[in-house]
Amino acid sequence: MSTETAKKEIDHEDFDPKGTLALILLYFVILAILWIFMYFIEFLGNDLTVIG
Amino acid sequence: MHIHNYEKIWLVLAMLLIVAFISTVAYGATAMGVDMISDDEETINPDALDEDQRFAEPRVEQVGENEYEAYVVALQFAFQPDPIEVPAGSTVTFYVTSRDVIHGFEVVGTNANVMVVPGEVSTFTVEFNEAGEYGVLCNEYCGDGHHVMEGSVVVVPEEEYDGGDQ
Ligand SMILES: [Cu+2]
Repeated sequence: MSTETAKKEIDHEDFDPKGTLALILLYFVILAILWIFMYFIEFLGNDLTVIG
Repeated sequence: MHIHNYEKIWLVLAMLLIVAFISTVAYGATAMGVDMISDDEETINPDALDEDQRFAEPRVEQVGENEYEAYVVALQFAFQPDPIEVPAGSTVTFYVTSRDVIHGFEVVGTNANVMVVPGEVSTFTVEFNEAGEYGVLCNEYCGDGHHVMEGSVVVVPEEEYDGGDQ
């Protein structure tokens, strides 16, 4: 009887953190939308823009 | 050094985001003409505003066909003149100074917002396209009456404009 559990060595490239990638892509999309909203709608759309 | 493919993806995305931030600000400054508050006016003596030709009599003055200059004094706890009257369809350059302590000059709900520092003249130019009324408030704590320090900008229809004097 062996107490050793099955062990599998994997290479650096063999594991893909899909969940992490999905989260980061989601954050990225949220950031981009917030930026567009903040700059183009809230800031540029706000009247009396300082022009000089 | 070996970098995982996924890491490459989010490194590139982060770089892209920074480039996008910088280019939108550049776009605003060039294509949309968004400018900064200028501080290149000469400094003045805040104790002698009575002898200053711009601020002895806070007022709005016509300097071109549709161009006006507003000389505004902030003090504890008011703005002069009040209201600041300008016609619709005009370009107005504000010169704002303080005769006592640091104040703020914020045209409420807009991007026109400056600090008002004694001895300094804060300058900015805006366009008023439509008639209406804006509130102005002080957004730098300036004393026990700070919360009641307010003024207004009244944009009157072009044909009703009488020079802005009270
Ligand atoms: Cu104040």
